Amino acid sequence: MPDRSDPTVPVPPWWRAILGDAQFWIPLTMLVAGLLLLRWVA
Amino acid sequence: MTGAAPPATARLRRLQAVGVLSGFAAGAWLGAAEAPTKVVTLGISPVAISLVMVLGVFLARWSLPALIRGTANIGVDVRHAPHLVAWALMAGCLWAVANTLTIFAIRDIGLSIAFPLWNTNSLLGIVWGAVLFNELRGAGRARWLGVAGGATAMFAGALVLAAASPAQAPAGHAVRGIVAAIGAGVLWGTMYIPYRKAYLTGMNPLSFVTFFTIGELGMMSVLALTYLGGPAGTWRELVGARGVLFWLLLGGFIWVVGDLFQQYAAKYIGIGRGIPLSNTNQLWGLLWGLLVFGELAGADRTTYVQVVGGSLVMALGAAAIALSTAREMELRHWRAAAEREAARYGVDRAYVDARLAGEDPEARRGRSVWDWLIVGTATAVFVAFAAGARAPQLTIHHGWAAGLVLALLALLGGGGWALWRTTRFG
Repeated sequence: MPDRSDPTVPVPPWWRAILGDAQFWIPLTMLVAGLLLLRWVA
Repeated sequence: MTGAAPPATARLRRLQAVGVLSGFAAGAWLGAAEAPTKVVTLGISPVAISLVMVLGVFLARWSLPALIRGTANIGVDVRHAPHLVAWALMAGCLWAVANTLTIFAIRDIGLSIAFPLWNTNSLLGIVWGAVLFNELRGAGRARWLGVAGGATAMFAGALVLAAASPAQAPAGHAVRGIVAAIGAGVLWGTMYIPYRKAYLTGMNPLSFVTFFTIGELGMMSVLALTYLGGPAGTWRELVGARGVLFWLLLGGFIWVVGDLFQQYAAKYIGIGRGIPLSNTNQLWGLLWGLLVFGELAGADRTTYVQVVGGSLVMALGAAAIALSTAREMELRHWRAAAEREAARYGVDRAYVDARLAGEDPEARRGRSVWDWLIVGTATAVFVAFAAGARAPQLTIHHGWAAGLVLALLALLGGGGWALWRTTRFG
């Protein structure tokens, strides 16, 4: 993983960093699953 | 590139102690939030109840940070770590869906079964904390046992307390209700991933909650419009419930005070310890029900034994966690996780290090006109709804109520003072 805090290294936008963060997809998957579950429960 | 030197051991221990105190204060205030909602009688849609509480939460989440610290500081956090706004919105959406699931779970299986099922969120929080953020790594066997054993004891205590709870299961769809309650627990447990992300990067809890609540209110509004029959149906529900709206708003407000303490606990002792400690809210909710509203009047001896036994087990579990705070070796792993976050999102290491140490060199003191406008508007909304509120038709034991309010104020004063003295609400 490149050191993004180094000012000499070009830093991609924060939203691209989020999409590239594997941890982001855990809560997003849970949120979608939760909405589907709610649809079934309600 | 290196950041500032790690904070001294004495300071780290002080921060841990403040985090533990915040966890206990969170439990008391989150539990007290149930009290105003007890005056709300049946006949109102659960989704409408949730929506109005979230409105109270929204007002409190903007006005309290404006009052405590001023909104100008939010801009500093956003400039340093803009990605955390997206994480906060995500956490708010998760909260709203989980909260709505709990309402349907209560409808189908009753509070006594549903509560312990969704309370498993703290166990999941421990898992996410350990797997994703190095919590409990290098902690040693005794601390592992203290945290995992304490959380398990609290879960067992919650089961016993729930069995003694006066709110019994209505006839319903058992499987659907159980799945809804477990789903709520999973969503809440997963919501702590954004929490830890934010606080490992150094974001101030007062900044995080202002964006969190936009996701919360946005998602809750979508759910209300979906399940209450569009804008007209939602409006009809709200108008029909106008006599009790104030109590729901008040419940939301009290809940936010507890939630703010929970956020500070998550920041300074991590989600693996902070969330179980704040889950002592069940104990406080029970105290309000028993002492103030006389909910166990006429109950048999078995019920009282369950209440005392469950409370003791829960208190012992909380004590085990409180005595298992992180030490230097584990904190080194926390710092490694923080450095990973800073590198991934390009956040200034000096900012991260200072904020993790509870310091805020860029803090702007004082309030702006904008801050006072937010506080004034929120106050006016509460006063307006209070003027139209119906007095509760309940027997309330005022002596016990005064005693519990004093305990709440003592925890608010003690916790608030400790946070101010150690971190300036950083």
